Amino acid sequence: MAAARSEYAIEFRDVSRRFVLHHERRASFQDWFIGLIRPRGSAEEFWALRDVSFGIRRGETIGIVGRNGAGKSTLLKLVTRILEPSSGKVFVNGRTYAMLELGAGFHPDLSGRDNIYLNGSLYGFNRKEMARRFDEIVRFAELERFVDTPVKHYSSGMYARLGFGIAVHMDPEILVIDEVLAVGDANFQQKCFRQLELLKSRGTTIIFVSHDAESVRSFCDRAALLSGGHLLDIGPANDVVDHYERLLHEEEPTASLLRVRAVDSFGIATDELRHGDDLRIEALLRTPGGASTSGLGIELDLIDEGGTHLFGTHARLPEHLPPSSAGSRRADDEPDTRVAAATIRQPPLAGGTLRLIATLVDARANGREVIDRRETMLTVTSGGRTGTGVLALDHDWAWQGPSPEPGIVSPAKVALFRR
Amino acid sequence: MVAQAVELVRYRSLITNLVAKDLKVRYKSSVLGFFWSLLNPLLMMLVFTFVFTQLLSDIEIDHFPVFVLIGLLSWNWTATSVGEGTTALIDNAALINKVYFPRMLLPISVVASNMANYVLAFPVIFMAMLVTRMEFTPWLVYLPVIVLVQATFLTGLVLILSAIHVYFRDTTVLVGVGLTAWFFMTPIFYRVEDVRPDLVQWWYWLNPMASIIAELHTILYHGGVPDPLFMARTFMTGLVLLVIGFLLFGRVTRHLGEHL
Repeated sequence: MAAARSEYAIEFRDVSRRFVLHHERRASFQDWFIGLIRPRGSAEEFWALRDVSFGIRRGETIGIVGRNGAGKSTLLKLVTRILEPSSGKVFVNGRTYAMLELGAGFHPDLSGRDNIYLNGSLYGFNRKEMARRFDEIVRFAELERFVDTPVKHYSSGMYARLGFGIAVHMDPEILVIDEVLAVGDANFQQKCFRQLELLKSRGTTIIFVSHDAESVRSFCDRAALLSGGHLLDIGPANDVVDHYERLLHEEEPTASLLRVRAVDSFGIATDELRHGDDLRIEALLRTPGGASTSGLGIELDLIDEGGTHLFGTHARLPEHLPPSSAGSRRADDEPDTRVAAATIRQPPLAGGTLRLIATLVDARANGREVIDRRETMLTVTSGGRTGTGVLALDHDWAWQGPSPEPGIVSPAKVALFRR
Repeated sequence: MVAQAVELVRYRSLITNLVAKDLKVRYKSSVLGFFWSLLNPLLMMLVFTFVFTQLLSDIEIDHFPVFVLIGLLSWNWTATSVGEGTTALIDNAALINKVYFPRMLLPISVVASNMANYVLAFPVIFMAMLVTRMEFTPWLVYLPVIVLVQATFLTGLVLILSAIHVYFRDTTVLVGVGLTAWFFMTPIFYRVEDVRPDLVQWWYWLNPMASIIAELHTILYHGGVPDPLFMARTFMTGLVLLVIGFLLFGRVTRHLGEHL
């Protein structure tokens, strides 16, 4: 537990968040008295997040993508303690600054100066600590001339600059940003990203929600894809954004590959394989309208850093593939997503980075017609093994003394080393 | 509960900033600023003095303006704190949904900023006492104790009301009526001595404001000796209310986010 705490800046364990939607709102004594006589109207449960587990390592920059209502904002509010989970646990290890809205907490009648101090104290910083940061914030926000003007007279750009300036100068260990960079001009956005890169290089953990897939791609190390409250995918930013963008493409007529990924024993996407563990590979397919997958074939290939084709396998798909489990128990959200999974038992890989390629082919015709192809990177960790080379092969060392008679092998055979 | 208290201490600069914000915003929007906030009780003093010494002639309280001003200022603190404090969470819903900080600080800062107003108005009482040539006694030093007792009581009360208001939005209606009733139940424009003797004890028990204002009258108006035991009892009432408020608030606001 202690080790897990230090490795992760943020950890979600089986986190669910439920909201109860009352069709009849009961928020007054009047309603309450009426309710004593007349039974209460129907209430609907709504799970904004369901069984979400993942960890964000210290210093990592992770992007959260997903459609509206996928649970992104709920996830951020759980990280920032604005909401508490209905079940499960959220661990946050580090001082957190949340930018869910630029200038949240600003009072329009107060000057920029007063608002800087007020905002600082909202995050638990006292006057002295803020005074130290004050000049830098004002310089960043380019508000030297307007710092004593009430913020209600600020332009939206000035407002955004001040909000962002405060956020990045609070030296947060964890910075949570929700879609706030959309405001402001390109110049401002560039400036913000420069500042964020600086924080990143200093080891700040950043959680970043954006509808702009490209900024997630370019700025984040990893990304998580939410859909209907479920964590559909987590992994390298490029792969997950690809997955997301393909999900958004509603009207693709034929089957397509959304993503290929390795999953751990809990069914959660991972980009790491420990030497000695089974390698489980999932290829997520999209079959529009739940169309049959008969006649399609899937190929998996492993290629090492040097470009050597280590392994390849292929299979014809059955007519009906199971829907994606996506690491959570229920997946009605993406009914078109099917999963083809393969397990390679304890691959004898020593370490390094692998390319994992999945190819969807049409096997009906003679020969093979490529429909779609996806790939991802996988890091194999050695797990304390000593040895060199691409492969880790099971082996024994044997020592034998000089034979007393030629041709007769000594039975003395000492196994010194066994993996 | 201890963790909550520790957190409150860590965020203490937020209280000062929220109070400063309140005072600045309140006084910035008017020309005379702070003096307007003194004008209100002074005008009320005139109204009460007119009604109770000119219209109703059989009430005999010496130095009536000073007498009523003392009660009014103290009562104003209570009325504004309860009024603003009840809606403190709903009024700041946008903020609560965007930033995490101990939510308790919102109602607490309402009590604190109205306390600042109250304390800043003390010079008016002293001036009125000077003008009417009333006697100042050393028991004036007891004033902070009474202020502290009232602050404890109000904080507890406002914590409870603001938590209830999240779930019952018409709390404000009841609070409005309640404040009016409470005003008449408090010895602001009449003397404790005029209350039916067999009811006085009950009345003190039920209405800490009666004890607080009676004690203010003792040290300021009568120039008498305060009774420490009397205030200690009121303080205990306030403390019990504060603990209940603290616990209830913590419980009720755990799922605050979805109710706003």
